[in-house]
Amino acid sequence: MDLKNLTISQIQELLFSKKVSVVDIVNFYLERIKKLDPQIKAFITITEKEALIQAKNLDDKIKKGDKVGKLAGAVMAVKDIFLTKNIQTTASSQVLKDYLPQYSSTIYQRLIDQDAIIIGKTNTDPFAFGGSTENSGFFTTKNPWNLSKVPGGSSGGSAAAVAADLCQFALGTDTGGSIRLPASLCNISGLKPTYGLNSRYGITAMASSFDCPGVFAKNVEDLALLTQFTAGVDPKDATTIDNPVPNYSELLDKVNLKGLKIGLPKEYFTDPINTEVKTKVLEATKFFESKGATLVDISLPSTKLGIAVYYILVPSEISANMARYDGIRFGRNTDNNPDITSYYMNTRGQYMEAEVKRRILIGTYALSSGYYDAYYTKASKVRTLIKNEFINALKKVDVILAPVSPTTAWDIGAKVNDPLQMYLVDAFTVCTNVAGVPSVALPCGFDNQNLPIGFQLIGNFFEESKILSIAHQYQQFTDYHLQTPNL
Amino acid sequence: MSSSKISMLDLEHIAKLARINLFESEKITFLPQLESVLEYLDVLNQANVENIEPTFRVNDQKNVLRSDEIVDSFDQKTALSTAPKTQDGYFVVPGTIKK
Repeated sequence: MDLKNLTISQIQELLFSKKVSVVDIVNFYLERIKKLDPQIKAFITITEKEALIQAKNLDDKIKKGDKVGKLAGAVMAVKDIFLTKNIQTTASSQVLKDYLPQYSSTIYQRLIDQDAIIIGKTNTDPFAFGGSTENSGFFTTKNPWNLSKVPGGSSGGSAAAVAADLCQFALGTDTGGSIRLPASLCNISGLKPTYGLNSRYGITAMASSFDCPGVFAKNVEDLALLTQFTAGVDPKDATTIDNPVPNYSELLDKVNLKGLKIGLPKEYFTDPINTEVKTKVLEATKFFESKGATLVDISLPSTKLGIAVYYILVPSEISANMARYDGIRFGRNTDNNPDITSYYMNTRGQYMEAEVKRRILIGTYALSSGYYDAYYTKASKVRTLIKNEFINALKKVDVILAPVSPTTAWDIGAKVNDPLQMYLVDAFTVCTNVAGVPSVALPCGFDNQNLPIGFQLIGNFFEESKILSIAHQYQQFTDYHLQTPNL
Repeated sequence: MSSSKISMLDLEHIAKLARINLFESEKITFLPQLESVLEYLDVLNQANVENIEPTFRVNDQKNVLRSDEIVDSFDQKTALSTAPKTQDGYFVVPGTIKK
């Protein structure tokens, strides 16, 4: 049976009507991975053995009539910065090569508890530091739409795996755009939730006040289903909020597009945006207008400061978080050092990738004596401005609509030697992380090279159900998200 | 570059503070890259932040407390299982005091 491009509910229909078994589903994806991943290179580890054991157990449960989880039959890829017990977790860095965690990250475990099946661990920039996967300590993932292009990053392996139909959904993290950017460049849907909705426990820490784990899927309906299980307070992450988790799936049709006020921030429709991206995103706004929504011009004036704020505060937090990698309790180390300082310097110098070092150095500089106020304090104050601008704008409009990436996918290698150019690809995504508000990214067309274009809907704190509902209704009337690459 | 933000000495100092040994080739590559990033950050000089409080966390949580109860944790073998070097049930750490 052809299982190509099925969503979770479609595959569950086949499963529960006994037309396929879970083993059939897993084998379908394993075969696709074996055929296609040698070119795409989405996966660092393929968990064939674990997946088949899980599948067989689940089939037995179904056969016996036992109760199964809400994600039975759903097959996931997991960004390799999520700790997965007894499954290699490298964070795409040589620092953690061969690392076998003793425990699992909370949101991965919550999905497993619902009988989702892990098919593999995906490539990313090391410790999620990057926007293209090219910084990975292992290899670069290719964009399934054009193998000479980047998939975006940092969660590029997860996005490419979903886009190439090597799994049904994937876990990623978004610290400055790392879910939305690759989702947009690969023509899939991705949710960066409100900071504090999804637990960060068991995920290698990048910038602890920014990191937002979330999901990639083939449509918004699946994002809603999955977020139902990932969301919610976790005693192991003190920044998760103890709010009741809404039933996102049931709320997908709730928002009335008629009379909805959609804010279009002028700073997101200007330089550095590419003309074709702008045209397609504006076409999406016309769709909402045709359904009775009102488009409102708004301004988020501090947007132009977003990248600077981000590249002070995030490296600062990175420099503190990365101090734990000393090769003593876990990770690789070096021998024959004359003293402990040499031991640290050589161990970290030997295995950290260039971008890992660069970010630690920028953060150490920004936090060092004499520079702290000029960089860290100043940026933390501008963070307040950016956050307040979102809060004030969302008093006037119901939701904000903007492009995700200023351009479509770029050539592999084009920006690798210029870190600043690479940082600027997140110009339209970082501010939501600076502020902490949620954003969903979804496809809205293609450029003249048939490369995907996406837009994002940004809501107020914990308004995931609202933005998912608006995005879902867009997908009921459009078929951009149904387009798949020729592989 | 007369107004350079970072010199080779600064870079070496920062690397020492961060406990990262840089290869010579990395120093040569990183210096202009960090210079251009730091120059870009000057855009923040445009911002008027007078009377603005800094934001260190985006939600309004205060201390999150839990009761002080003993819960299950790793046994010694599991806790040590990822360490590159162990001895007699301990992590092996390089000497911090010279003999």
